[in-house]
Amino acid sequence: MKEIVKKLSKLPNWLLLSLILPLLALSLSEKGGYILSKIEIPKVWTDEAMKTWELPNPKPEYSPQPVSEEYYYAMAERTIYRSYPVYHPDHEPEGYWEWLQSLEPEVVWDPSKFITEEDWIKAGEMLFDHPIDTLGAILTNDLVRNPDFYDYVEMPLTPEGIMPFSRWVVTGKGRVRVGNLSCGMCHTRVMPDGSLIKGAQGNWAGDKASVFFATEEGFEPDSDLIRSMGFLMNALFGSPWSDGDPHGKLVSQGFDAIVNAFQSVPIGTFGRQGTSILFAPQAPDLIGVKDRKYLDHGGLGQHRGIEDMMRYIAMNQTLDVLNFYGDFSPLGIPRERLIPDRPIMFAGTHDRYSDEQLYALAKYVYSLTPPENPNKPSALSEKGKIIFAEQGCVTCHTPPLFTNNKLTPAEGFEIPEDHYEKYDIFDVSVGTDPNYTFNTRRATGYYKIPSLKGLWYRGPYLHDGSISQLEDFFNHERLQEGWSPKPIKGHEFGMYLNEGDRKALVAYLLTL
Amino acid sequence: MDIGYLDIVVAPWRSLRILCARCVNPTLINKKNRLFLVFALVPFLLIAQSVKPESPIQFKIKNAGITVDGTISDWEVEVDFDPKKLSQSIIRGKANPESIQTGIKLRDKHLQGREYFHIQKFPFISLESKSFQPRGKNAFVGIFELQIRDVKMEVEIPFTLSQTGRQQKFKGEFIIDRLDFGLGEKSLVLSDEVRIFVEF
Repeated sequence: MKEIVKKLSKLPNWLLLSLILPLLALSLSEKGGYILSKIEIPKVWTDEAMKTWELPNPKPEYSPQPVSEEYYYAMAERTIYRSYPVYHPDHEPEGYWEWLQSLEPEVVWDPSKFITEEDWIKAGEMLFDHPIDTLGAILTNDLVRNPDFYDYVEMPLTPEGIMPFSRWVVTGKGRVRVGNLSCGMCHTRVMPDGSLIKGAQGNWAGDKASVFFATEEGFEPDSDLIRSMGFLMNALFGSPWSDGDPHGKLVSQGFDAIVNAFQSVPIGTFGRQGTSILFAPQAPDLIGVKDRKYLDHGGLGQHRGIEDMMRYIAMNQTLDVLNFYGDFSPLGIPRERLIPDRPIMFAGTHDRYSDEQLYALAKYVYSLTPPENPNKPSALSEKGKIIFAEQGCVTCHTPPLFTNNKLTPAEGFEIPEDHYEKYDIFDVSVGTDPNYTFNTRRATGYYKIPSLKGLWYRGPYLHDGSISQLEDFFNHERLQEGWSPKPIKGHEFGMYLNEGDRKALVAYLLTL
Repeated sequence: MDIGYLDIVVAPWRSLRILCARCVNPTLINKKNRLFLVFALVPFLLIAQSVKPESPIQFKIKNAGITVDGTISDWEVEVDFDPKKLSQSIIRGKANPESIQTGIKLRDKHLQGREYFHIQKFPFISLESKSFQPRGKNAFVGIFELQIRDVKMEVEIPFTLSQTGRQQKFKGEFIIDRLDFGLGEKSLVLSDEVRIFVEF
């Protein structure tokens, strides 16, 4: 180094300057600054951070207790193999399946090659589509190679016949497995023209798919299957402290009732672990999530910076089944079983994303932007804009984010005094169905006030996907008995607009 | 004769006359006693009685480019105002923010909540005059102490007085910055300024 400086000092000034100036310019540019500055990857799972990151359960003694930092970091980092598109069997290119069998596994995660922010985002996109399970959590090889299955779930496909919610993963030569539980499995939307919106509210019948086997001719559940189904129900949705224990009740109603519950989940909602198959949450639109202060419909996770987003991804990718809730373990394991280096074998619990992988994923999610909105402002939508203000919608759905980023209590939830200081509370309930935020493991007693951005490509609406079209929000008949399949209570705004005003308001909402 | 608000002030005198005429032997009220009665009653008579005006307090605020009209209907005012004795005049008002109405019930509930009026903790808005100055014929400006939530601030309120006989009618209009009083937070769509109209 000393030698280099010595040699440089002997150079004429004009030559020295010509060498230094480009470097200076590079460091001042955004990209250059990124290259020259070392990226600080936040440590996601610290005991201290995990204590306060999530909001408590309305019954605080059942608030989530995540695994320890020691346990978490003792888990193996996830290996990311190259993955390949899954085609509907009728659209699969000739020889494709055989070609997959011939491939060697290829590890494609190598953060040492990431230089720019774009590199991290690109890597994040790859991870977004990468499944964390290849053991058949929902989809199996047999299912995705069976045309009847596609008909049963009315699977949306791209124009090429690709089923975009999963990928083939080659984990060894001849070991080709269909993947499950990638982020993209729930957050990819196929539009009517077959185009994809990545990060948007997903639209395939994932829960219905889970029980396809029960519809096959001659199927009879045996006692082992019934027992397994009971275990799975508890692992995914068990929250026996909930008033009336709705999930326990469902299990006690028997196999057919469970299958029926899975089949009844509306497309666009998913019975994600920790939520409910009875009041399954809407798959959130991740486009714009960078600007949200809370994550999950109940605002379970605070979102104060990228590390919180990373935590949420880590937790949501099934690690929450290792949580304890009081003394309740979703997997039915004793606390003593949580020993570092002795992983629990369940989908997504035997390995973890590295902090770098989570960083890349969060960067990708933050980078998501909506496609161009085909609904351009018009005289009708401008009229709707005025109605939007007159009806007071702006108080909660405040432009430019079209949310005030606050939490609204479910009806009947008494806000603890300290929450006013800790969280962003809008202390009026709009009376929507409280089940999700009272009777699940992700319950907080609140609902996040959602953004209205991107309504044009989303649906169904509300936290439980109970409203299938925007017009229904402003139809007072939905409040009453006789509304199919059941009345939809709450959010009683714009209920008595005349038809012209209602159309104008909807037209405006579709431009957002 | 309808003397409006002043009727309330005069009423005790009248009832006293009735009391004296019907129930008390006039001979018992000698000169010394009469003098005592006058001194004893004067301080009470100077204290104005409170009345509930018919018109609600009205306010206007811009929200997303639209003017929202609101009212606070439950309020009362005490007036002892003599344009010739401004330094001795008093106007006091007390309003109940629970009666706020903006045309949307849930919004009203929100305004009653702790982000805005926090009615559980601060059940009243109060206004009390500190001084008055004339501003032309039947026009005045008063310095008032306005308390909303736990914030007290002096506000200047120009108002007019129309007097018909003994009936006094006041009209005033002023602007406050809601953020000065902890009413909500800074917003991209909701104006800070609130225009307030009072008439009684």
